[in-house]
Amino acid sequence: MTERDGFKKPVKVVIDGREIVAEAGEMLLQVALDNGVEIPHYCYHPKLSIDGSCRMCQVKIEKAPKLAISCNTPVADGMVVDTKAGEVVEARKAVMELLLLNHPLDCPICDQAGECYLQDYSFGHGRSEARTTSPRRKGVKRHPIGPRVVFDQERCILCRRCVRFTHEISKTDELRVFGAGDRSRIATSQDRPLDNPYSINVADVCPVGALLSADFHHKRRVWFLEETETVCPTCSNGCNVKIGAFRNRIERLVPRRNDEVNDTWMCDHGRLNYAFVQDETRLREPAIAGREAREPVPVAGPIDYTRDSDGREVRASGPSVDEAIAAAAASLRAAVATYGATSVAVVLTPTLTNEETLLLARLVREELKTPHFALAVPLGLSDDFLIKPEKVANARGARDLGVGPGDGGKDLAGILAACASGEIKVLWVVGSDGLVAAAGLDAVEPAVANLEALLLQDTNRSALTDRATVLVPGCTWAEKDGSMTNHAGRVQRIRPALRPPTGLVADGEIFARMASALRGEAGAPFEPRVAFAEVAKAVPSYVGLEWARLGSRGLAAGQGA
Amino acid sequence: MAARVVTVDRRSLRARGGAFGARAFAKGLSVTWKHFSRNLMGWVRGKPTVATVMFPEEDVVKPAAFRGMPVLVQMDDGKERCVACGLCEWACPVDCISIDPAETPDPIERHPLRFDIDMGRCMFCGLCEEACPEEAIVMSDRVEISAFSRGGIVWNKEDLLVPQDQLARRLDWIRRSYER
Repeated sequence: MTERDGFKKPVKVVIDGREIVAEAGEMLLQVALDNGVEIPHYCYHPKLSIDGSCRMCQVKIEKAPKLAISCNTPVADGMVVDTKAGEVVEARKAVMELLLLNHPLDCPICDQAGECYLQDYSFGHGRSEARTTSPRRKGVKRHPIGPRVVFDQERCILCRRCVRFTHEISKTDELRVFGAGDRSRIATSQDRPLDNPYSINVADVCPVGALLSADFHHKRRVWFLEETETVCPTCSNGCNVKIGAFRNRIERLVPRRNDEVNDTWMCDHGRLNYAFVQDETRLREPAIAGREAREPVPVAGPIDYTRDSDGREVRASGPSVDEAIAAAAASLRAAVATYGATSVAVVLTPTLTNEETLLLARLVREELKTPHFALAVPLGLSDDFLIKPEKVANARGARDLGVGPGDGGKDLAGILAACASGEIKVLWVVGSDGLVAAAGLDAVEPAVANLEALLLQDTNRSALTDRATVLVPGCTWAEKDGSMTNHAGRVQRIRPALRPPTGLVADGEIFARMASALRGEAGAPFEPRVAFAEVAKAVPSYVGLEWARLGSRGLAAGQGA
Repeated sequence: MAARVVTVDRRSLRARGGAFGARAFAKGLSVTWKHFSRNLMGWVRGKPTVATVMFPEEDVVKPAAFRGMPVLVQMDDGKERCVACGLCEWACPVDCISIDPAETPDPIERHPLRFDIDMGRCMFCGLCEEACPEEAIVMSDRVEISAFSRGGIVWNKEDLLVPQDQLARRLDWIRRSYER
């Protein structure tokens, strides 16, 4: 819903014989859509201004002289609307024929196929055969209109959604309609590239296959994608997204609507920042310094035992996750016993879920009892729209859960200085990318050089990976279940879209096993749903939040009551 | 529906069949003898008269409507006609087709980087051919799938490509069947 200025007069309209109460000033199309009446439309977008250029949403209104476009007709009291009248059906058929007059019909190679309004409405409202015999208009195809967007002029229906997007949302005004009538075409002014931090959104608003994401171009048919509703991990804004995955690989991210967070948009950087989940920098094997790394099993033949069902190499004989956790726990225990609890420090990059962070915070306070516990939050550029300066997803959640130095504890810089001076003997780093980005490699290098043990829990290879005494690979956000809190305190669910690499467990499970190893007795396994109940108790503003009520759009902290 | 009861008089049936089923025995032998003599005469004359084919040295010409293994049509420039639209992959009831699409600099901008058919799974239903908008995958007259390993029965793009002039009969048959 758009923000409304105060109370508006309720009006009664009848749509297809159903009486609907709406507010004065609302547009008929939106009222119909909100009440489950389907009216086909191309140019109307709830988050853009009204254009009225496609003429697809025409409906019959009683006492009106002719059909009216419902997207630009405000509801009025006593309005009687028929969306299925014979004239309406005829009008839609005529609009479809006009729009398809010059359409190349290259659906087999078009990435939009499967989520294309032209396809859907052609089935629903069009005619099955073309009557035109004249050749179709030629246009530029596969034109890189910007670094991240591909343009196909032949497919364009001139709905101007993209033009309005660059004018109203990104406010960069790259796209315009040039020419008139039959020669109208979308292009950039003076062939300036369509290059803004939100440019790929034009591919989302495009109802047909004219504007496409270059990253997803010819990559996978959309009907093969398994979509998972989750949250973007790239900054603390927590834009609601869908992961489109195929055969356990992420193929694309697309935004989904959440008016409290991102409307229907997301930034290009966040959208394209998923390769780390599946590229060669991903850590798939635990490692313990001094122990031989895992070697591929030399078994080939009819059945290839060296690869698992995803084609990844299966290895054997190296340390398992449990062995790595045991080794890490042993070195922590040894340092605490020899030098005292203050000889141990923990640094967390808050990419973890709230539930995992709670387990870690508890482990640090109750088992390690060290006050040296710091957050490493990498900062970057921001704007006044979606991109936030904190470049991790859950910094707010970690702060809410009390991650930070205890009594007499050191902050991040203090911990690194104490590591360098030899005061701290064992450093446990959860997520090294944040540490390196926040403190700088110049500060991290001397700190890790002087340690007795560097325990590293990480998802991807970094400058610290080869320095680790014990390396425990964790899971990325795409493989985990849990909740995260965005910069504004909105608690939102993330959901697992992929299976984690063979043998790896979620970071929460690592903490649970680590706590068991430190205590010397087996504890309960990590269960996000159960842990969330404890998160909701641990943070005052989360009290009353329930796992089941987080739904797909999350709840703001304080909404629990 | 009321049950219709037929009472079979086994004794008279046995009597008609002769002692120890001699009649049926003789009839069976006569068939064998007939084919043997026909085969023998044909061999003597040098013109086989029986349908038996010395497979695999000899092969029969299958009718155009025959559905053997699905193959990919190779254009005269050596490239596949397939644009990796994925409709066959979607239509396949046993999920034996796996395609990885990719972009090419050619005028036909899309092609399959990988096109695998697991022939051990394929049930030769022909739905892939029917779904194809490009006449790029057709049912061939090939039927020999056996291989020495499980990996061998997964045919990749290079295995599947067949020059289009070799598939002319089938392509012609498809077009005629669409015209009907």
